[in-house]
Amino acid sequence: MSARFFCTSSFLFAALIFTGSFASTTAFAHSPICNCYNDDEDDSKVVCEGGFSDGGSAEGVGVKVLNDRDRVLINGAMNADSTFTFTKPDDDFHVIYDAGPSHQVIIYMDDIE
Amino acid sequence: MTRNLHRLLIRSSAIALGVVGFSASAVAHFQVLYTAEMAPTRGKATQFTMVFTHPVHGGPHMDMGQPEQFYVVSQRGGDSEPKRTDLMKYVTPIDWLSSKKAKGGEAKKSTKAFNASLPRSVTRSLGDHIFVLQPAPYYESGEDKYIQQFTRTMVNVGGVPGNWAEPMGLPAEIQPLNKPYANWTGGVFRGRVLADGKPVPNAEMEIEFINHAPDQDGHRFADAGEVELPQDAYGTQTIYADAQGEFTIGLPRAGWWGICALAIGADTEHEGKALSQDAVLWVQVKDMK
Repeated sequence: MSARFFCTSSFLFAALIFTGSFASTTAFAHSPICNCYNDDEDDSKVVCEGGFSDGGSAEGVGVKVLNDRDRVLINGAMNADSTFTFTKPDDDFHVIYDAGPSHQVIIYMDDIE
Repeated sequence: MTRNLHRLLIRSSAIALGVVGFSASAVAHFQVLYTAEMAPTRGKATQFTMVFTHPVHGGPHMDMGQPEQFYVVSQRGGDSEPKRTDLMKYVTPIDWLSSKKAKGGEAKKSTKAFNASLPRSVTRSLGDHIFVLQPAPYYESGEDKYIQQFTRTMVNVGGVPGNWAEPMGLPAEIQPLNKPYANWTGGVFRGRVLADGKPVPNAEMEIEFINHAPDQDGHRFADAGEVELPQDAYGTQTIYADAQGEFTIGLPRAGWWGICALAIGADTEHEGKALSQDAVLWVQVKDMK
């Protein structure tokens, strides 16, 4: 192994570590946050609010309402106000706030007040 | 002769400063705007207690007049618009009982304070909810002046930040440079003293710990303090902001810490007497467990 190869390899290894650290930092710097509650004005509806721990907007973030068999009942996205309102399904359900891989929040029906 | 006169003036000033300093530490009034949790995981009904007191000693308390304003400014995320909601309809008078062990206090004596039981709708949304209390000026006979403390307590729901760092343009205000609702024991808290939105250089400030746990339903503070004070100067920590109006304090213990900037408002007179318009900000600190 030549000294030049060793230096080049070391540089690439350091660069990879740096890139990995940076990606991790970026990913963990904004955790997805979602909260759903019964609409005070219309008991048949649920309001979900989305956001991120850095204050970023949730506009466009996907929201799915699924039943116990994981069948998608409602498929939508957060609006410009970072909210998503849906009519309660007849089935038991849960909500997935999907901000990307490893950035999903699941809210179960029993936790919605 | 001139030199002796100069020395005399310096001595007189030093004595005067000493008296002023003693008075300030002996009568560190704080407008408390207390709720049990500044950082709930989800929105729920909340109860606010408004007491004008000396929190490190658990009293004595002062009678409050009817508050002039009580409102909340809420914001979810950095891009949304802040929303102001008036809360005066929830403000009701209560009798706040003195602690038996309050320094200089009279056992069982009640003073006029206020309560606000807020429905879930007020803090239902994720984000920052900045509660602002503008009390009526209080006449302090011992100093023959009025005191009016513009007080802010922030509640954050769920961890989504909002407008916590934004100045509100109050006559007297402490702009936080750390989130007031998310502080670890042993950390520091930074802020900037503002009057009408402009920094106040070298503002005199007082820091106090709520040493007697508030009992919101029993309308009193706990008889026993959490911390034994070795000497009066430890009760009220006095600091000065720097030339930019900024300050940093340590947070050595979990609980509630009050930060007050004294006499920074533009209005200096009320009903023919001197008026001190102060700013109060409350900070909650938690242990790392």
